[in-house]
Amino acid sequence: MSPDPARGAPALEDLLRTLAPQVLGALVRRHRQFDACEDAVQEALLAAATQWPAEGVPDNPHGWLVAVGSRRLIDALRSESASRAREERLAVMDPQLAPSPDDVPTPSDDTLTLLVLCCHPSLSAPSQLALTLRAVGGLTTAEVASAFLVPETTMAQRISRAKKTIRQAGASFEPPPDDERDARIAVVRQVLYLIFNEGYTASSGAALARAELTGEAIRLARMLHALLPDDGETTALLALMLLTDARRAARTGPGGDLVPLAEQDRSRWDPAAIAEGVALVERALSTGPPGTYRLQAAIAAVHDEAATAADTDWRQIVGLYELLGRVAPSPVVTLNHAVALGELRGPRAGLALLSCLDGDERVGAGHRLAAVRAHLLERAGEPDAAREQYREAARRTSSLPERRYLDGRAAAL
Amino acid sequence: MKYLLMIYDNADSRELFAGEQGAGLMAEMDALFAELKESGELVGSDALADPSSTTVVRAPDPAAPVVTDGPLAEAKEHFGGYLVVDVASQDRAVEIAARFPSTRFTPMEVRPILGDAGEEM
Repeated sequence: MSPDPARGAPALEDLLRTLAPQVLGALVRRHRQFDACEDAVQEALLAAATQWPAEGVPDNPHGWLVAVGSRRLIDALRSESASRAREERLAVMDPQLAPSPDDVPTPSDDTLTLLVLCCHPSLSAPSQLALTLRAVGGLTTAEVASAFLVPETTMAQRISRAKKTIRQAGASFEPPPDDERDARIAVVRQVLYLIFNEGYTASSGAALARAELTGEAIRLARMLHALLPDDGETTALLALMLLTDARRAARTGPGGDLVPLAEQDRSRWDPAAIAEGVALVERALSTGPPGTYRLQAAIAAVHDEAATAADTDWRQIVGLYELLGRVAPSPVVTLNHAVALGELRGPRAGLALLSCLDGDERVGAGHRLAAVRAHLLERAGEPDAAREQYREAARRTSSLPERRYLDGRAAAL
Repeated sequence: MKYLLMIYDNADSRELFAGEQGAGLMAEMDALFAELKESGELVGSDALADPSSTTVVRAPDPAAPVVTDGPLAEAKEHFGGYLVVDVASQDRAVEIAARFPSTRFTPMEVRPILGDAGEEM
């Protein structure tokens, strides 16, 4: 995230971020009112960040934060009740207002409940991402805003609206019912993956705050994995993030230019992240029939294990894309499948597979079909047709680095 | 995903929003702005001064820029203002444009803003 001077040293920041969802969970279980509690926790975190460096970290940091958060919550509700004459509700809450610092919560259950709540299906994806980063990740609104390149006031409104929407949807701070649990946790995985991608695809110098989103997404995925160690898709999500992030240093050149996988300097890949990711994939694949994250992570592992681009086991990758196309068919899977098939059986085979996407509106609006077609035409020895497709892709992308890359390929032909 | 919503207008259409007769349209516009602020979708917005106050600059030779008064071309509609919104989808950007009261009289262009994020190829 952007360095926030109010948040102090990295070790302290790590501690506060880890405690944030646990403290919020404790407050919400006691007082309900997720939105007011969430504001109170942010204030408690800020108080800790300013006081602890001077006064030292208290013996029970969790208890300290819960106590301070509770006080802030009461203050907020008092002033609200003064202006809106809601004395009654305050009176009802009073017996619970002074939690004892040694009241030990169940932080893990709370964190999972919080994640599911922040990824509530009544919210749009941008709101799910923002709320998860603030309420579970413990980031300040300013940090979330700078990561998404919007003004702080815009982000503050988005978060406050998200909390209101959850309240209006009647969501409570309870674990989801058994019959919804899997679907809700699937949404959490998707939100964490979107956070990861927001950071991973950022490439310019101005996007440093965004790039750190990958670290935050990995931290949250580790948290989810620790809560659900036997869940194969969650294990695979963490593996996929690690195996993808391992290539980060090599994926951009000077000035933020994109370097395609085949041309990356593999000595700059992170071997520790690859080893951890591969071990997690193996574990995930032993837990049952392959889901989408398991298959994507397995594909990433095959790429990462190839010492050079020429060593890539394309046969295995093609097989994995065939499976993925059956489990979760999508135009993007077909495009990647076509690239892999082009490597295994030649560009004509890839182009033939692409023709089944003609007229598919989901791809037609995007630039990826043209980019993949251009790549395969270039390899098939048709420079004129390839140039036309690169230019078409460059016109259609909404990404500046992609446009530079595609224009560059067209110019080089 | 950020979009630039470009408001095109002309002297006649701007008059519709002025004075007492325009109060209803202005109230509608204010309500839409309030809603977009509240939802956390509005990134920024400004209205532009009259096209006649435009200065056009050309500098094929940077040492001797050619500066002329007035807009590039006489047109039925001029770029009159903009909104930048950060929304979940293009459909949502189009929906906002359709609800912007000026689009009843003059068109609006909805155009994606290039981002810094790029996919590995």
